[in-house]
Amino acid sequence: MQLSFNQITFRYPGTDTTVFEDLSFQMAGPGFNALFGPSGVGKTSLARMLTGDLDDFSGQLQTRDIDRILYSYNLERLPGWSAVGKHLERITTPEQQAKREQLVDLFGMTPFLGSRFSQLSLGQKNRINLIRYLLQDFQMLIMDESLANVDELTREKIILNIKALFPDKFFIYISHNIIEVSKFCRDILVLAGSGKKRPAAVVRGQDLQAGQSLEKQHLETTMLEIMNAA
Amino acid sequence: MLHRRVYQFLIVYGLGLALLLGIKYLLDLSNYVIPGPMEIWTTCREVTRRYFADVMDTMTVAIIGQVLSICMAGFIGIVGRQTTWLGSFVKVAAYNVQAYPIVALAPIIFILLGDGFISRLLIAAMICYFPLLLSVLGIMSEPVRDIEHFYRNTGRLRWQLEVKIRAFENIGKLTTVVAGSATLAMAGTIVAEFIAANAGIGYSIRIALYQSDLGKILVALFLIGISLSIYQGLLEWMGALVRKAWESQ
Repeated sequence: MQLSFNQITFRYPGTDTTVFEDLSFQMAGPGFNALFGPSGVGKTSLARMLTGDLDDFSGQLQTRDIDRILYSYNLERLPGWSAVGKHLERITTPEQQAKREQLVDLFGMTPFLGSRFSQLSLGQKNRINLIRYLLQDFQMLIMDESLANVDELTREKIILNIKALFPDKFFIYISHNIIEVSKFCRDILVLAGSGKKRPAAVVRGQDLQAGQSLEKQHLETTMLEIMNAA
Repeated sequence: MLHRRVYQFLIVYGLGLALLLGIKYLLDLSNYVIPGPMEIWTTCREVTRRYFADVMDTMTVAIIGQVLSICMAGFIGIVGRQTTWLGSFVKVAAYNVQAYPIVALAPIIFILLGDGFISRLLIAAMICYFPLLLSVLGIMSEPVRDIEHFYRNTGRLRWQLEVKIRAFENIGKLTTVVAGSATLAMAGTIVAEFIAANAGIGYSIRIALYQSDLGKILVALFLIGISLSIYQGLLEWMGALVRKAWESQ
């Protein structure tokens, strides 16, 4: 699995605002990779280019062994006419039923399956939304702040479990949490804010797996590299 | 909400009547121009039964016309929500046609179809149809992105689901629009009866107008207002029931 951007230039339609100019990078999958950068730097635009929602750009965007890309974000909602458990049942094939139950349990959502989406906390909403994406057929899943408002311990548990359960999938994790991306992601594309010489750089993260211990030195180095690039 | 509607109407009607009587006594107008409370009461006792039957007749036409309009607006709204050529055409056509005053077409309808039930029904339906259509079109063509994204992204967003999501998210607006359109349907039917029909409360108001009998008109207005308030209150109550039933699935 591979994702490569070659000299991508993109401007918001009808404006002179350049979001990317000659942006080039490569990421290899499967695994957890990240997009990192200050707000408004173009992370979501880049994700939308990947899903095909934005096609008004120049340059080459190539993928290898990635046919189905899904994009989830943290403001998504489930319809309010039935409980979240019912919604999950409806979007799951019979073969996926065991996986659904496993994910619901791992994400700590079992007690809330009978609740309506509007009755959940923000973190619970994001977890239930992410579960339904993980139950779909995909090669790449873009998680745009998909675990926002989830506490740190639960978030860590969820990410490690996703890595263990979906070893053959390509994840792009969009987050503003520098420790998290440094810890759990392999290739981190850092999109720089205005005033930086290099518009983007790929930094190698620690790519922590379940059962592995954290290399503090490596983590600190990664975080420094990201800070310098951003 | 039913009793609130009735209270609101009674307050507005009472204020209107008080203003009218205030003008009468202030300007010392005769009972022929503005009848006094006793004359109004006497007229009320004389005509209420007949006028109530007329209001029910008018209301029946208005309700049937409104149901027809809701069905048509729902259908056209669902077709017009699409970003296809047909959807755009329906939307543009709806916006352009609604700009034409339907009441101006009423005489043509009476000439072609006579002064019976069908003419009244058609005018009632047409008058409440376009505002309903514009609201339904507006609601149905506005994506609920945060909900639809997942279904669109995973290829599950069939038109039925899209309509269901948009209707559910806007059920409050839809209920208000439907309740509001009841007034339009009633107004349309009364206007039709007033212009040329031979039945209904509009026809009775026309006769009262020829007789210059303000008392009769005031009684008719009271009966129209109270019936419409009850009907609108019932529509709102039914809207709340639908939402409740939908949410408890």
